Amino acid sequence: MITGYVLPPVLKKMGFPRLIISGFLLVLFILTPFVGVDLPTQITNIINRFSWNAVLVLAMVPMIHAGCGLNFGLPLAIICGLLGGTLSIQLGFTGTMSFVMAIVIATPFAVLLGGGYGLLLNRIKGGEMMIATYVGFSVMSFFCMMWLLLPYSSPTMVYGLSGNGLRPTISLDGFYNQVLAKILHIKIGNIEIPTGSLLVFALLAFLMWAFLHTKTGTAMTAVGSNAAFARAAGINVDRTRMLSVIMSTWLGAMGILMYQQGFGFIQLYNAPNNLTMPTVAAILIGGASVNKASIPHVIIGTILFQGIVTMTPTVMNSAIHMDMSEVIRIIVSQGMILYALTRKTEGAK
Amino acid sequence: MKAKTRRILFSLLLVLVLIAVAAVMMVIGRGHTVYFDNKTLEDYQGQEYKAFDKVLVTVKGEQVAKLAKRDRGMAIWIGQNFKMILEVTREKGGESEIHEIDLKLPYSVDGIVINLPALLAGLPEEAWFSEFVPAVTEEPVEEVPGEGDEFGLGLEGELGLEEGLGDI
Amino acid sequence: MNGKKNIPAGKRLLELVRNNAVPIMFIIICAVFIPMAGFSPSYLLNEIVTRMGRNLFLVLCLLFPIMAGMGLNFAMTLGAMGAEIAVILVADWQIWGIPGVVLAMILSIPFSALLGFICGTLQNMAKGREMITSYIINFFINGWYQLIVLYIMGAVIPIIHASIMLPRGYGIRNTVSLLNMRQCLDDLLAIRVAGVKIPVFTFILVGLLCLFIVWFRRTKLGQDMRAVGQDMEVAKAAGINVDRTRIISVVMSTVCAGFGMVIYLQNIGNLPTYTGHAQIGMFCIAALLVGGASVEKAGIGNAFLGVILFHMMFIVAPGAGAFITGDSMVGEYFRVFLSYGVITLALIMYEAKKRMAKSKAGQELAEAQVRKEDA
Repeated sequence: MITGYVLPPVLKKMGFPRLIISGFLLVLFILTPFVGVDLPTQITNIINRFSWNAVLVLAMVPMIHAGCGLNFGLPLAIICGLLGGTLSIQLGFTGTMSFVMAIVIATPFAVLLGGGYGLLLNRIKGGEMMIATYVGFSVMSFFCMMWLLLPYSSPTMVYGLSGNGLRPTISLDGFYNQVLAKILHIKIGNIEIPTGSLLVFALLAFLMWAFLHTKTGTAMTAVGSNAAFARAAGINVDRTRMLSVIMSTWLGAMGILMYQQGFGFIQLYNAPNNLTMPTVAAILIGGASVNKASIPHVIIGTILFQGIVTMTPTVMNSAIHMDMSEVIRIIVSQGMILYALTRKTEGAK
Repeated sequence: MKAKTRRILFSLLLVLVLIAVAAVMMVIGRGHTVYFDNKTLEDYQGQEYKAFDKVLVTVKGEQVAKLAKRDRGMAIWIGQNFKMILEVTREKGGESEIHEIDLKLPYSVDGIVINLPALLAGLPEEAWFSEFVPAVTEEPVEEVPGEGDEFGLGLEGELGLEEGLGDI
Repeated sequence: MNGKKNIPAGKRLLELVRNNAVPIMFIIICAVFIPMAGFSPSYLLNEIVTRMGRNLFLVLCLLFPIMAGMGLNFAMTLGAMGAEIAVILVADWQIWGIPGVVLAMILSIPFSALLGFICGTLQNMAKGREMITSYIINFFINGWYQLIVLYIMGAVIPIIHASIMLPRGYGIRNTVSLLNMRQCLDDLLAIRVAGVKIPVFTFILVGLLCLFIVWFRRTKLGQDMRAVGQDMEVAKAAGINVDRTRIISVVMSTVCAGFGMVIYLQNIGNLPTYTGHAQIGMFCIAALLVGGASVEKAGIGNAFLGVILFHMMFIVAPGAGAFITGDSMVGEYFRVFLSYGVITLALIMYEAKKRMAKSKAGQELAEAQVRKEDA
């Protein structure tokens, strides 16, 4: 890289695009007081959005570790979460219980669908990412039909007039809206912290970290970095990859439930698609590559990405009265993914 | 080496031809909207040119307007050499006369208003020619695409299937 | 294989069915759906002919990258974006009719070629995952497209007419009217047969592209491209500049996609500025695959059959969905599901086949080794 000659090693390690993105975010932060934007509100927003998205980003980790690449099939995992959420409401659970039940119900779906997805990915090693994308689309469009056809009947969810078919947006008031965020909720001045959500993320991240250090976890890393070597070492490659896919799917289902919990709505139909690219981009911005990812990547990436997502509209709007945030988001996130894809991956065959 | 020079020459030639074709297209493809007024021109150098009783305007073999007094008609025309056939009835119940009109339209003007009585009286261009200025109307504010989505959703909805499905 | 003659007819039929599973499936779907949807035959025929004229050119441009072994070019959308920028400019300059179409085509060349070049270069940096890369390039360039059309046009690039500009003074409206360009190619030499309008000139253009493809396959460059598509290493050893050949194939595809998009837009008669190109790539790819193409092999016949079958399904699915479930939305989702499903299926078949070939080659190598040792 050209910049390598002039940059100190720490910055070099960060990589050129990450540097630009961090710099951009820093500029936004510095600009904040000058353009009359309230900094504490912004920080609250970033923390909030971090708590919504972090688990989804975490769901990328197992598959990257096992060498299945970036999980563009995230909609599949999200569908599992949506099934959990909608069924839990359909079965009449409310409040905190509805959240617990949503997780409980989503789990078998995640294991089943994730298992099938893993089987498929094992048969097409090397082409995972493209196929994952289209498996995600196919499952999503299949469930678009299902949301209309499945016999849901809870009046909070179905279309009012015809009485069948789920609404595209379902409010979670009275169900699991903010159930985690409210636990140990902290308010310092104007900054609010949804402690409960952050704690759940911390727990999951810790479990993930611990898992990666167990025997199975290291086996997974071995499969990801060199499958032939791992096979020679007596690791069942297919089973390990399958496990990683199931874990990814379950975490993705958890992730969307966490997201809904913070956001306050369940979004159906084509909505799952909207989260794929931001999630993939987030972990890459954090420093992950196509075959390498860690917990710090998840945390840094989510903060950076959500920072840009929340800060650009407000700051740019107040500074130059022109909201280019949408375009910037697209260019930043897709550019990041493109950068990761075109880079010579270390340890690739 | 020789083959390479020939190739470069050939591609240069191709580019030139394309540019030439594009330039020709820009000239012959310029569209204009022509409006014809059958309106009395008052006081042009002290004279009055009365509106006709009835005018039939034919452009490209198609009757585009039938103008009574004070009417305005319009036609679209591609290129600068505008041709039309006017069938004019000057007085009520009078005989109609046919005029073939050839006009040179200015390239840079989108909409051209022609005052027919002045034109047929053979007056100079300034008398019958004027530029059509579209009336500025208060328009409903159009939603700016891709802006102001509070929740950051739909940002990657480029494959959003709700839109544009009907027309592929 | 040359042992084909000895295979019994029944087995050969089975083979035929297996090789053409997707088109046969779609023929069955269409056969079931058409009576349910209840459209008149002349309406269906009219729609199909219109859509063939509209889409064939776009579908055909996918053939070049497949020839070069780069898989399905999801980034053909880049050409569509280039064409859209050209069309916006032409509409603003008020160049109408056929000259407008020709100018838009010529003007689209530099945009599409540049974008195609960028795309090809990036794909060369990501060998082995060209498709996902082209897919992401799509979104990435779409970001830049939006930047240009939404913020730079009118502010930096002069736009004369307020009628295509957003009221705020810069940026292009959601739809740009192409009324004065509408169907001018289709109407040229158009004939009506039993109430069905046949856009002869558009079909002539499509025919010319087909001829070009057939001719191109025989040229030196075309041969090189196929060699690269078969085996990059072997092609390299034979002295072919692999990277350059691959870039050329993508540029050709993008430029043709630009032409195709202009044809498409003149048929539609207006330009949906921000959504016009979004679906193009996916639907063209789905159509090609429905025609029996695979990721590594596709021909002109596949494109024709695919456009007919895919669009037939697309027209009748909502009606059939309403007939079965009483809700036309189900049909809409069903056709989207089928489009995605067929692409997924083709990708899976391609990757599985690739892996099978790889392991088979490995096995043969091992067997040869054993035989050598035995001898």
